[in-house]
Amino acid sequence: MIKKIYLVGNPNVGKSVVFSRLTGVHVVSSNYPGTTIGFTEGYLQLGNSKIEVLDLPGVYSLEPASSAEEVAFSLLKQHPKDEIVVINIIDSTNLERNLLLTLQLIEEGFPLIACLNMCDDAGHRGIHIDYQKLEKLLDIPVIPTCAVTGIGIKLLIERMQEAAPKSRQRLIHEERWKEIGRIIEEVQHLEHRHHTLREMLEDASVRPLTGLLIAAGVIYTLFKVVRFIGESIISKITDPVFSNFYQPILEKLTLGWQEKSFWFHLLIGDLINGKIDFRQSLGILTTAPYIEFGMVLPYLISFYFILSLLEDIGYLPRLAILLDNLLHCLGLHGYAVIPLLLGFGCNVPGILSTRVLESKRERFIASTLISIGIPCVPLQAMIFGLLGKFGGPYVGGVYLVSFSLIIILGLILNWALKGYSPEFILEIPPYRLPLLTMLLKKLYFRIKGFLIEAVPVVLIGVLFVNILLYFKLFDFITGVFAPVITGLFGLPKEAVVSLAVGFLRKDVAVGMLMPLGLTAKQLFIAATLLAVSFPCVAIFVVLWKELGVKYLIKAILIMLLVSIIMGTLLNFVILR
Amino acid sequence: MKEVSLVRLKVGHKAKVLDISGGKGLENKLMSMGVYKNKEISKLSHIGLKGPVVIKVGRTILALGHGIAEKIIVEA
Repeated sequence: MIKKIYLVGNPNVGKSVVFSRLTGVHVVSSNYPGTTIGFTEGYLQLGNSKIEVLDLPGVYSLEPASSAEEVAFSLLKQHPKDEIVVINIIDSTNLERNLLLTLQLIEEGFPLIACLNMCDDAGHRGIHIDYQKLEKLLDIPVIPTCAVTGIGIKLLIERMQEAAPKSRQRLIHEERWKEIGRIIEEVQHLEHRHHTLREMLEDASVRPLTGLLIAAGVIYTLFKVVRFIGESIISKITDPVFSNFYQPILEKLTLGWQEKSFWFHLLIGDLINGKIDFRQSLGILTTAPYIEFGMVLPYLISFYFILSLLEDIGYLPRLAILLDNLLHCLGLHGYAVIPLLLGFGCNVPGILSTRVLESKRERFIASTLISIGIPCVPLQAMIFGLLGKFGGPYVGGVYLVSFSLIIILGLILNWALKGYSPEFILEIPPYRLPLLTMLLKKLYFRIKGFLIEAVPVVLIGVLFVNILLYFKLFDFITGVFAPVITGLFGLPKEAVVSLAVGFLRKDVAVGMLMPLGLTAKQLFIAATLLAVSFPCVAIFVVLWKELGVKYLIKAILIMLLVSIIMGTLLNFVILR
Repeated sequence: MKEVSLVRLKVGHKAKVLDISGGKGLENKLMSMGVYKNKEISKLSHIGLKGPVVIKVGRTILALGHGIAEKIIVEA
């Protein structure tokens, strides 16, 4: 009786896609190793019974060498071997390397079924595998699949019952590789191919000169396209919907309400020149939805679409190679570029994915740099919306300050913290052409995740702030912090409210600056402060969970110090 | 025939792995990724200034930090 199914395989062979196919549970998959950092559970309906399926992080071998491998191995040993089935997912385009784990799993006596994934890609690359012969040589069921399109999954489920422990002599690594060599010789036939355009691109993007040129081009295009798509959605879709459709409805509904009444203040906010102004009214039904849906969401869709595209093509590990030198100076190694990039969407997944880094030191440095120096999309969207009208240099200035902080702070942390930055061994995946349906699915889940987490916080946040404002309860806090805010940063004391709201959500916080009528310089300083300073509550919780209280406090002290120094410098020295 | 580290091997050249001198941990890790004694590898790229080295083993492309590449001795 099967009680549990485990998905085991090398990193980046498509375990998560097979998992989605088996269970219907969506997991984020990308074309780089280490996307699955914990493990994911789901259920497969097999006949009348529901069986638990576990998607384990990728491992190269059963001898645990990294924390992901330790997790995988300890989970595998949890249940008696006759109650489980292990599905070994294999990348057909790289059979030789994948077979090491397969042999180890058979030798350990796990009931195994092999799933030769990406079989279509192998065909395209001129790799032909004799599945029947492989099945005979390994003495386990072997099923060719293409999980992204669903080919072979049905057969995989049907033959699940055939998995049974086999006896195979235990080998040492060298002998195992020899054995694999013999198997490959018999089952794999390579068509001779000339270098394809794809391979030429793959090579060019890891060479120093061409690689840097490509990287610069990719990053520049990325930024331009994200802005273009975001702006197009705003001007073509969301703005018309808000002003032509939503605003008249709101006006009709509230016709005859007292403008200064409590409920009007809460729901609609202040009228600007007798009309609802979505940017400035600050009501739960006006500015709150406008910030999330009219300003942030368009950019979020656009950013995650482009990021998902880069992920699935397989470009990001190549960026890691090129940035390794720079990141070493900051106490990290090249692969840290992935958490840093994810941090641009939202800092939370960025900090979570620092798990791909080995040491606590690296994780602390990376998490601190992300929460200080990487502005998330909601914040960036608001900065575009707010500072955009003062011209490019102001928008660019926020990035310049953020990135300079990453470099300076990284250099300092690397110098001050005990330890060294480890070296990476990183598998570089081949370029793959992403499937649009997979891309859109991933985009859908990322956006859904954002909406579920952000919208309630925004509504409650605006509600809370409005109540405090209505009863003038902010006056006390404003009074306490006014000397710092006005004296050091040159901001009006009302900006205290916005900075305090920054603890809830950064986008709302920038939104609160809108009605204050700040000068370009003040707006620039306030926006930069929000980008750098105290983490929002979600980051706070994640830092706590991932690093522990001690590191959380350290990170926050660094943030406060950096904010005060930077705000003061910007006010008195740089932007005089 | 001479022995050099992966860092010194010329880009575009093939070579056989002779020794991995970074201790058992590193040796095992590389072994599980397909890099072991007597295996033929080819060097694809080297990002200068102590940057990583990119090699190809079988169908696998691996990027190795500079420090690790120094510990892999090959016969060129």
